[in-house]
Amino acid sequence: MSIESYNGGAVMAMAGKECLAVVCDKRLGARLTTIGMNHSKIYEINPYLYVCLPGLATDALTVYQRLRFRVNMYELKESRKISPQVLCSMLSNLLYEHRFGNYFIGGVVAGLDPATGKTYLYAMDCLGAITIGTEGFVTGGHCEEQLYGTCEALYRPDLGPEELLEVASQAFLSACDRDAGSGWGAFVYIVTKNKVELKSLKARMD
Amino acid sequence: MFKEMQSLANAQMTDASPHKVAGFYPYADNGGTLAAIAGDGFVVIGGDTRLTTGYQIYSREASKLTKLTDKTIIGSCGCWCDSLTFTKGLHIRLQYYLYENNKPISTNATAQLVSNMLYQKRFFPYYVSTIVAGLDADNQGAVYSYDPVGSTERHRYRAQGTAGSLIQPFLDCVLGRGNQTAPEPEKLTKEQAMIYLKDAFMSAAEREIGCGDFLQIMIVTPQGVEEERFKLRKD
Amino acid sequence: MTSERYSFSLTTFSPSGKLVQIEYALAAVASGANSTAIKASNGVVLATEKKQKSILNEEHSIFKIEAITEHIGMVYSGMGPDYRLLVRKARKIAQKYQSMYDEPIPTSQLVQRVAYIMQEYTQSGGVRPFGVSLLIAGWDKNKPSLFQCDPSGAYFAWKATALGKNHVNGKSFLEKRYSEDLELEDAIHTAILTLKEGFEGQMTADNIEIGVCDKKGFRRLTPSEVRDYLASI
Repeated sequence: MSIESYNGGAVMAMAGKECLAVVCDKRLGARLTTIGMNHSKIYEINPYLYVCLPGLATDALTVYQRLRFRVNMYELKESRKISPQVLCSMLSNLLYEHRFGNYFIGGVVAGLDPATGKTYLYAMDCLGAITIGTEGFVTGGHCEEQLYGTCEALYRPDLGPEELLEVASQAFLSACDRDAGSGWGAFVYIVTKNKVELKSLKARMD
Repeated sequence: MFKEMQSLANAQMTDASPHKVAGFYPYADNGGTLAAIAGDGFVVIGGDTRLTTGYQIYSREASKLTKLTDKTIIGSCGCWCDSLTFTKGLHIRLQYYLYENNKPISTNATAQLVSNMLYQKRFFPYYVSTIVAGLDADNQGAVYSYDPVGSTERHRYRAQGTAGSLIQPFLDCVLGRGNQTAPEPEKLTKEQAMIYLKDAFMSAAEREIGCGDFLQIMIVTPQGVEEERFKLRKD
Repeated sequence: MTSERYSFSLTTFSPSGKLVQIEYALAAVASGANSTAIKASNGVVLATEKKQKSILNEEHSIFKIEAITEHIGMVYSGMGPDYRLLVRKARKIAQKYQSMYDEPIPTSQLVQRVAYIMQEYTQSGGVRPFGVSLLIAGWDKNKPSLFQCDPSGAYFAWKATALGKNHVNGKSFLEKRYSEDLELEDAIHTAILTLKEGFEGQMTADNIEIGVCDKKGFRRLTPSEVRDYLASI
C-alpha cells in the first residue's frame, strides 16, 4: 500500500453551465482504520476558487499552508486576485520544487470566473504534472479509477446548478461506495456567479 | 488483484536465495473487461475484444464470452491462456454432465461447478476473472462473479476485469440506486440493460487503455442466445 | 579580505540628510543622451537619440532600446554598461515570472522588481547606485503602460516624459503637445519632435532609435521605418 493512500480520500470537480461543483469525501483513515469522519479535502482560496489536495493528510495540510503563503504574497504584491490558471501553475511549481522527496498528494484546482461564468478545471499528480479538465470534470484521490468510470458515464455538458449537484453527487457517491478508502459522506461546493453553497451529503458509513 | 499476486510471487522469488535466479513467471495479464446485467426473463453479458500485454495489443478480435448452453454464458478474462484452458476444461465437464444426467446443465449448477473447478487449483490458480451469466430455473436472470480461486456470489449486475473498477460504480448508480431517494423506475427491460452496458463500455474505453476495440454482447432469453457487436474506441 | 574592506555602503547620508551618491547618479542621467516616451491610447512609443562618437562607428549594431519580453521594452538615459546589466536582470525576472505563474509578467510587476534591484544598490556594501534612469513601456491586457525607474529605486507612471540632457525642455514640450486621446502614430511623431528639441545637428534614421509597444507586442522600428517617419515630419 503506497503512502499516498495511507489516509484514503477522494476529490472531484465538475463544470456546468456557469457553475461548478467541487466535491470531496469526509473520511480520514490510517490504513484500514477510520480515524476521522468529517475531514474536508477542499480548501477555499476565494469564493470562486478552490483547491483540493487528496493524498497523505499531513502533506496536504503543509502544502495548503505553503500555497496559501504564496497566494497571499502574490495578491499583496500584485494587488489583484489570483486567477485559476495562475493558482494551478503556482501549485504545480510548488510540487515540482520537491521533485526529489515529493509530497504524497495530488492536486485539483477548480475555479469560476464570476464575470464571464467560464469554468476552469485542472488536476495534477504529486510532481505537478498538469492535466487540463477539458472534458468537464477532474478527479483525484484513492478511488480515481472509479470516479473516472462514473464521471465519464454520467457527466453531461452545460448542466445547471441543481442538475450539476445531482450528477456530481451521484457520480461521487457511487464511486466512493466501491472504495474502502473513501466515503463516510461528502462535501459539495456548488459555485455559481453570485452564490456559493456548501452541501453536506450523507452516505453509507462503511 | 493480479498486481498484488504478481508482486507477491516476485518477492518470494527474490527472497528465496541470494543468488541470481532466472525468474519463472507463469502468469500474464492480458487484460479484458466483462460486465453483466440480469433482469426478469433475460440476462445480458458484455465483454470487450481487446487482448493486450502491457501497452501492446495482441488482438482486437479476441472474444471473451463463451456460450455454454442455451441458457448460460461464461465470460473469462485475465491471463488469456488460463481463460482458454479453463473454458476448455469446463466444456469437457459439461459434456460429462450431459452424458451422465441426460439433460443440459442449469445455470446454478454451472455456477457451482465453475467455483469448484477454480478452487481445485487453489495453490496454482487460474489467473482469471470470471462471470457466469444465465437464466435460472424460474427464467430469472442470474449473474455470478468469481475471483481467481473461486470465491463467488450471485448479483443482479457485475463488472470485472481491467475496467471493472470503472464500470461497477456506474452500474451501482443506475441499477443499484443506493444513494437515490427517487422511486425505482419501471421494471428494467432488456433494451435498457443493453443501453447501460454500451454506455458503461464506451465510458470505460474512454479512460482505460486496456479496454476497447469492440464490445461483444450476448443476450440470453428463454428463446435462446442472441449476439451483438458494438464498436468501441480503437486507440 | 577585499569583501571585508568594502563591506560598507558607499551610499551614506550627508549631514543634511541627502544621499549624495544618488544625486550624482541622477546627475549622470541628466547629462546623458535624451530619451523620451509617450503613452498613447493604443500603444506606447519609446525614442532616444544615439549620437555616434565617430563616423567610423557601425550604426546599427548595438541598440539602446531593448525588448524585455514579447510585450515589454525599455530604454535609458545615463550609463550604457549599467543599463545592459539591468536589461539582463529584467529579462531574467520576466522569464522567472512566466515560468512560475504561466502568464506574462505585468509591466507594473517588472517595474517594481527592477526598482527593487536598483534600490538594493543604494544600500548594499561595496556597490554604487546605477547611473541610469529607465523608461519601461508595456502592454498588458489591452492597456498600455509607461514607467520610469530612477537610480534611487523610485518609480513613476507617466503619460509622457523625457530624460537626459534636455529633459526640462522635453517635458515642457510634451506638456503642451500631450492629449489624452493621442493615437500611437501621432505619438511617434510627437516623440520625434520632442527629441528634435535640443537635438544638435541633423536628425537621421542612423542617430535616433524608436521602439513601439501595442497589442501586437513590443518591437524596435527598423531604420527604414524611422526614415519614413522622419520624412513625414
